[in-house]
Amino acid sequence: MSETNNKSNFKFYLALFSAKTTKNILKMFGKVLKVNGSHVPGNLANKICPNFLSIVDKPKKIIAVTGTNGKTTTCNLITDSLKDLGYNVLNNNLGSNVLGGITTTFLSGVSFRNKARQDIAVIEVDEKSTPKIFKHVKPDYVVVTNLFRDSLKRNAHSEYIFDIINNALPDTSTMILNADDLISNKLKAENDNKKVYFGIDKLETDTEESLNIVNDARICPNCGSKLKYDFVRYHHIGRAYCENCNYKSPKADYSVKSIDNEANEINVAYEDKQFKLNMLSDSIFNIYNQIATVALLKEIGIKDEDIQNALQKIKITKNRYLEENINGYKIINHLAKGYNPIACSIVFKYVKNVKGNKEIFLLIEDHHDNKASSANPAWIYDCDFEFLNDESIKKIIVPGTRSKDIELRLLIAGVDKEKIVALDDESTAAEYLSYNKDNTIYVLYDMYQQTAVDNVNKQIKDNILKISNEKENSGGEKND
Amino acid sequence: MIKIEFLFPEIANLFGEPFNVKYLKNSLQDVEVIETSLTDTPKFITEDVDMIYLGSMSEKSQELVIEKLKNYKTELENYISKNKVALFTGNAMEVLGNYIEEDNGNKIEALGLFDFYAKRDMKHRFNTLFLGEFEDSEKIKVLGFKSTFSFCYSEKQDNYLFKSIRGCGINKESELEGIRKNNCFGTYLIGPLLVLNPVFTKYIMKLLGEENPKLQFEEEAMECYNKRLEEFEKKETDYLQ
Repeated sequence: MSETNNKSNFKFYLALFSAKTTKNILKMFGKVLKVNGSHVPGNLANKICPNFLSIVDKPKKIIAVTGTNGKTTTCNLITDSLKDLGYNVLNNNLGSNVLGGITTTFLSGVSFRNKARQDIAVIEVDEKSTPKIFKHVKPDYVVVTNLFRDSLKRNAHSEYIFDIINNALPDTSTMILNADDLISNKLKAENDNKKVYFGIDKLETDTEESLNIVNDARICPNCGSKLKYDFVRYHHIGRAYCENCNYKSPKADYSVKSIDNEANEINVAYEDKQFKLNMLSDSIFNIYNQIATVALLKEIGIKDEDIQNALQKIKITKNRYLEENINGYKIINHLAKGYNPIACSIVFKYVKNVKGNKEIFLLIEDHHDNKASSANPAWIYDCDFEFLNDESIKKIIVPGTRSKDIELRLLIAGVDKEKIVALDDESTAAEYLSYNKDNTIYVLYDMYQQTAVDNVNKQIKDNILKISNEKENSGGEKND
Repeated sequence: MIKIEFLFPEIANLFGEPFNVKYLKNSLQDVEVIETSLTDTPKFITEDVDMIYLGSMSEKSQELVIEKLKNYKTELENYISKNKVALFTGNAMEVLGNYIEEDNGNKIEALGLFDFYAKRDMKHRFNTLFLGEFEDSEKIKVLGFKSTFSFCYSEKQDNYLFKSIRGCGINKESELEGIRKNNCFGTYLIGPLLVLNPVFTKYIMKLLGEENPKLQFEEEAMECYNKRLEEFEKKETDYLQ
């Protein structure tokens, strides 16, 4: 018995030493070697000692965040708030959210003698990695932002991801769930886990029927009858009930009662108390991330005024959104994850609703699959291209291998053929813009399209400078 | 008036497949689409319906659909024997077989209208391209995509839908894809199959009685089909994704 213990102890410390050394080497030479080291030390540790993640000493309190959209933002909000409140926080915001990356995070948090240095861990976990992570790490709190259809190749459908997470979750974790998400709010419904719900009360913009193509919660999970919605916000986000049995959406313990756009504030209510919070972003998705953060902070015992103060100082990083103004032309780069119909639909709806006219570049196809294979265009038929059929959208430029597929999808969505420019690649894409200062230029892009995005942006800027120079030379600007 | 019955769109709607029905609706001259939910009696029982469509769904939904359609098994058999059109895409096809075997060996009894069974492996998702040939009064090249946790197995080899040119059929070893009896078609191909395959779609429109079928945005659809066909026929194109 003790020999086995000694052996596993030896393996663990060997893994810890090797992984930490590797981490330090990568820290020094990673840039030169062009290696992103976030998962390498963790993978090495798990290879030497398969139980590493169980044995490694962890902070006393562990918070995990998972879900389809909003994981990173929510993790950052929680981490930044806790840091502001003086906590020493371990988190994986710079690393990966799968087994290797999370192992690297935990091994970074201990000394060579395996003693945790931080009080609290905030860990973002990839949905499909939850079985591997929760086998070793039993979080005290699990925040689930939402569950939606994602890549059909990897994630199949939302029920599939639901089952993976539901089976992986420990029975001891307090669940912080989105009351308005009719899929993820059922997590651990059959178990005794403590459940805490967050939500946003009915808004003026909510509807009675879903405006989206995809709504994965149309039938009652208990009896299969058609669900009735009190309101639908988007897709399956809303509040619903069943007329045939007693099923209904859970009541939110922490809710956004109202949103005050003018004062840039949200009113938060819990029990019989209310308090105002600085609104970090006017996007509804970030308001969900914010109320999820509030629910978590309240559950770990943070006072209202401390939450107010912490969230007053934080800014949501807009690394997925970049707004520039060049010689009076407004250019907005906005991430729209390809193969993710929900993420793209949300961006399309947002662009449609922005005031003023727009011209749009769509760089959303799957770069990887088109390189060696032929990308499956099915996801574009789950995606609401119908939002782009709008008077305010004057032109849609689609460069890339699948441009003809996207053109056909836009036509079926009702967009005029004259507005669509389908191109084989982006090499001349910016020539098709009208360069009318009244039209905001949107570049909607998938994260793997960076080369094309850079190229398009360069072309736009070059053309703007050329036009400005020409006008200056001809005295045009002075006469305007 | 051509009547198309879209079965259980509230659950059988994955991978953009409702556009199979929508595209037919937009392309046919005189057409009515009836959406039948799980709590309704299917219209093909009580009315003269020209086409039935059932699309991909979750594994739990397959069980709900089987439970529902078991009540109308004889009527569905009669419908198929009358040469009426039916299209089952993705795992909707599995509903028509003898049973679906789960990972743990449990067998979910299905409708038993076709002599095959399906076997799931929920730990491995299989993604592939498929190029095959449909043969009837004309030969049509059909292309598409599979994204599946399950495969079908059958002793019989005479009731397939497409013969593979490249990419596997109903299982990794088979060159035969899908199932067919009269004008009832089932295929593992997922997504907006009819948008991606304009020639095959026009064949279906003819079956539905449209003498000179003309597709919505036919020129653009043909352009996409020809481009994709070229990619699928290239030797160096990877079929497994």
